[in-house]
Amino acid sequence: MLRSLSAKAIVPVAVAVTGFVVVCCILLYSVMKTDMTNDATVQATNLANTIVKSTRYAMLKSDRETLSNIIDNIGGQHGVETVRIFNKKGLIMVSKDHAEVGQFVDKKTAGCIGCHAGAVPKASFRAMEQARTFTNARGSAVLAITAPVYNEPECFNADCHFHPPEQKVLGTLDIGLDQAPLISALGVMRNRMTIFSLMILVLTVGGVAALLRRNVFMPIKSLSNFTEKVVHGTIGQDFPRCGGEIEGIASNVRTIAEELNKAKTELDKR
Amino acid sequence: MEDPTVTTTAQEAPAGNWNRDQLRQAALVKISKFEALANKGLIMIAGFLAISIAALRDFDFLPSVPLSVLAFLGPPPSANMISAALVFYCFSAIILILAKMMSGSNKYGGLAHLGYLSGFYLFYHFAAAMERNFWAVFAAGMTILALEEYHLWIYCAEEIRKERETLAELGGGNGKAPNFKR
Repeated sequence: MLRSLSAKAIVPVAVAVTGFVVVCCILLYSVMKTDMTNDATVQATNLANTIVKSTRYAMLKSDRETLSNIIDNIGGQHGVETVRIFNKKGLIMVSKDHAEVGQFVDKKTAGCIGCHAGAVPKASFRAMEQARTFTNARGSAVLAITAPVYNEPECFNADCHFHPPEQKVLGTLDIGLDQAPLISALGVMRNRMTIFSLMILVLTVGGVAALLRRNVFMPIKSLSNFTEKVVHGTIGQDFPRCGGEIEGIASNVRTIAEELNKAKTELDKR
Repeated sequence: MEDPTVTTTAQEAPAGNWNRDQLRQAALVKISKFEALANKGLIMIAGFLAISIAALRDFDFLPSVPLSVLAFLGPPPSANMISAALVFYCFSAIILILAKMMSGSNKYGGLAHLGYLSGFYLFYHFAAAMERNFWAVFAAGMTILALEEYHLWIYCAEEIRKERETLAELGGGNGKAPNFKR
């Protein structure tokens, strides 16, 4: 079957088009997924920085009640899985989950180890280094951002505060955002690309197959039937009317057969 | 890459009188060579699958490259650049294979493609982008090697058919060299 004329014409085209479209779709999806994930990370980092700025005054005044209220309100937003602020030692000062207030975070976990790997923790990092992803207890994918709370002149010059100017980082805000909307958007995009690719494949391979069948395979089949009749001595008028080279071949075969018939008839008469 | 062990029938048309058995023997040898050549593509596909399995594990069984070597090599290209090169390579390779099919060439480039595809796996490995792009290289490799194999298989099937016709001619021949030109 693979050695037939139609297979020889269609299989390479089908394999080439299918393979190339699949490769392009996978790469395109990969690039778009990376871009969308990076955008989500940048937006989450901006949100974390906004929260740090919003809570700055409450922290400066050491107003725990206001700070806790702000964190509770932010934590109540749809899509915010975790939000907490811990000090330089890792002691959780305020959190959406009130049960974890007063506990220490593990510096060896993902998101902390990036800065705490060496003897001296890093005091600054790029936006992408602030992000980590994990799956929480409910099975949801979470994008978490750690935003440092830096020591500023207003902090170490205030009368009530005790942070020395040498201390660069006072604490860290940790916020975890549900990635379900991003995953859902990626899934929709993947499905659309799959449908689009299938439509391209059907159109391309189907189009090539239909045109080859109409213009090549059917005329060749007619020619084959016609020559078979000629071989068996039937020279009818029904040679293939398909135009082009194939009709020319049919006409030539018919002429040859007629000449042979004439010669044979003359020989028989003698 | 042309296989030097297999030549076309037209090239080997003997000039003088040949013993019929010798000709038959030569045709049989050529048939077995073409049969072996037709399987070459499958060996390349098997090799590619083995490399892909290693790449799927991100070459975790290989020892780490020394930092001095990595420093000498410099930073890897970005994943987007590698992907662009992969698309360009895949497109060019498919066009070249289709062109070979059109011209009826017996050249087989499976080994070179195996090298290029392994190179892409390595580049993605060093760019830490293997997980996202593994299936793209795999799909490109399977497409290119499947086309190469199909082309080689069709070519060898055609040559074997010619040799079998020659054998059939020799069955009722006069012992002189048959006309190999078709």
